[in-house]
Amino acid sequence: MTDGTNTVGSRSIDHPPLVEWLDPRRKPPRHKLGLIGLGFLAVLPTLLTPLQALTVASAYFMAMFAMSWDAVSGYTGQISLGHGVFFTAGGYTSTLLNLEFGVDPLLTIPIGVLAAVLAGLLIGIPTLRLRGPYFALVTLIAPLILLRIFVVYSDVLGGTTGLTRPDQLFGLQAGDAIVTYYVAFGLFVVVLVALLAVTRSDAGAVFTAIRQSEEAVSSAGLNPAKFKIFAFTLSAAVGGLAGAAFVHLPIGSPTPSSLLTLFVNVEIIIAAMIGGVGTIVGAAIGGMLLVLLREILSNLAVTVPVLGVSLAEIDTIAFAIVTIGIVYYYPDGLLRSTITLGGRIRDRVASRSNNQSLQSRQQPRKSAALSDETTDEADRKHGGNGNER
Amino acid sequence: MSVDRDTSTALDDQTLKPDEGKLVVSRLTKRFGGLTAVDDLSFAVRQGEILGFIGPNGAGKSTTFNCITGTLAPTSGTVWYDGEDVTDLAPHQMVKRGLARTYQSFRPLRDRPVIANVALSLVPDSLFSLSGLRGETRAKARAVCNLVGLGEDLGTMPGQLPHAGLLRLELARALAADPDFLLLDEPFAGLAEQEVESLSALIARLRTERDVTLVVVDHNMRGLLSLVDRVVVIRFGELLAEGAPEEIRQDPAVRDAYLGGGV
Repeated sequence: MTDGTNTVGSRSIDHPPLVEWLDPRRKPPRHKLGLIGLGFLAVLPTLLTPLQALTVASAYFMAMFAMSWDAVSGYTGQISLGHGVFFTAGGYTSTLLNLEFGVDPLLTIPIGVLAAVLAGLLIGIPTLRLRGPYFALVTLIAPLILLRIFVVYSDVLGGTTGLTRPDQLFGLQAGDAIVTYYVAFGLFVVVLVALLAVTRSDAGAVFTAIRQSEEAVSSAGLNPAKFKIFAFTLSAAVGGLAGAAFVHLPIGSPTPSSLLTLFVNVEIIIAAMIGGVGTIVGAAIGGMLLVLLREILSNLAVTVPVLGVSLAEIDTIAFAIVTIGIVYYYPDGLLRSTITLGGRIRDRVASRSNNQSLQSRQQPRKSAALSDETTDEADRKHGGNGNER
Repeated sequence: MSVDRDTSTALDDQTLKPDEGKLVVSRLTKRFGGLTAVDDLSFAVRQGEILGFIGPNGAGKSTTFNCITGTLAPTSGTVWYDGEDVTDLAPHQMVKRGLARTYQSFRPLRDRPVIANVALSLVPDSLFSLSGLRGETRAKARAVCNLVGLGEDLGTMPGQLPHAGLLRLELARALAADPDFLLLDEPFAGLAEQEVESLSALIARLRTERDVTLVVVDHNMRGLLSLVDRVVVIRFGELLAEGAPEEIRQDPAVRDAYLGGGV
């Protein structure tokens, strides 16, 4: 074996002790940027009015909903059009336990998560053999059935208008913007770290392999059904957690319009697409952008020329146009585009300094992985497959 | 095993016993509606041999493979592996038992480079595995790539590999699962003469170095003659002949099946 010569990114990746692996100084630039971004979000409330803090808090929830969708649909390619079912399972279970039996939200939220996992199994197992549009169709129908059930048993389940507000988490009041912000931020970080851990481990590589070919996965000795169910329940658990916590905060309410309707189900997909499907981080960014962008658009005191209406009145249309633009020009999502752009800039800087030392030395690009000096490049390429980001 | 076996008498002694080989296929039948793709087929593969499995196009070779590996459920019949009944096992369970395969139509993961394709076969079938964060997986995957001759293409995307390269990738993915039995579905199809030779050499090495038992499917004897120890010929899903490569070449029934004897 000629192992010694072919060191594809093996300098620091092979046998990294955990402490070393966790050291942020050894991370590629995009990871450093991410950590800086999280640090910024952690101190952000000091710069915001209470109302703005609450808006960002709800942006975290949209991000969590989008990440929940991305974990299953973005990774395994099983497109769910009814993820609201899991948010609702979490939110409604938690609300009903609190309203009917007076159980504390701190206890009802975990039970809500369990209910969502159950819903995930209920939809995930029977649909194991379904793919593409057939799978999507089943998930599209699920929230419609649930909404029907709410209407039929509207005395308990509140029909289309939803349930009354349950007790707030930690007894929060509408004015407790800062605490609300940090509860949302804390949950966001927990969900982000958990999903990153799973998708960046072997399981993530199997999820994306399922998206490519289930036969390839089973011929590698891996059970595709097991990994699909895992992705589904994980996604449901995250969605259920977000849904359950949401209804016990001043920014949320246990209503179909905020957890279950078609609008919710489509919105989270748009959010994930804006940021970048199959990346988790992209879904997080997309979810936040979506809420913040819409907030900004609806507050702009601009009158649209020709039409003669104010932008705030047609904010949904304006938002849709911006979304279409992003999806059209950056079909891989903002995250991947930004990383590609960043890499290109770095390459240019690197090649400039290279040219100064070694004039007119042309690197054959085909086997970039083999030349020692492009180990970074190979690293980045490897990250480009959506697994390791 | 007689070479010139008459099908009608063969039927009587066709039922094989579990211990007659590493892999034993007994009275395997697969019907798709009214079409019988595999018809009461029995054969055994001995430990350590390289068996050629040939038949004209449409003879049921791939269907037989799919029934053995669990991709298709046979209509009737039994498959034994290492003496155990594995007829109803799913493909991934067969791989875990040590029986891996390649596909005639390649199934690379087009979204990731060669080494990550191979590394997938090294992932343990458990949900909370962190081996991806360690270096051993990559080192092992690299070793397998080197073995099949893809050492120069670790970072290449499958879409950029030539046909022969894709075949080697397919082989590498099967090998990375550390099989002791390999089913190769038409590996020589579409290869140039030179590539056939180097692949034959590689297959022979797998047996000697890795102790792998192999079944190599092809629709003719090209490339197999010097490679295999024994040949099983099927036609219309039925066993036609069985024996050493030279004997098979002389076999009138086989020559007949190939219209003019171009085996």
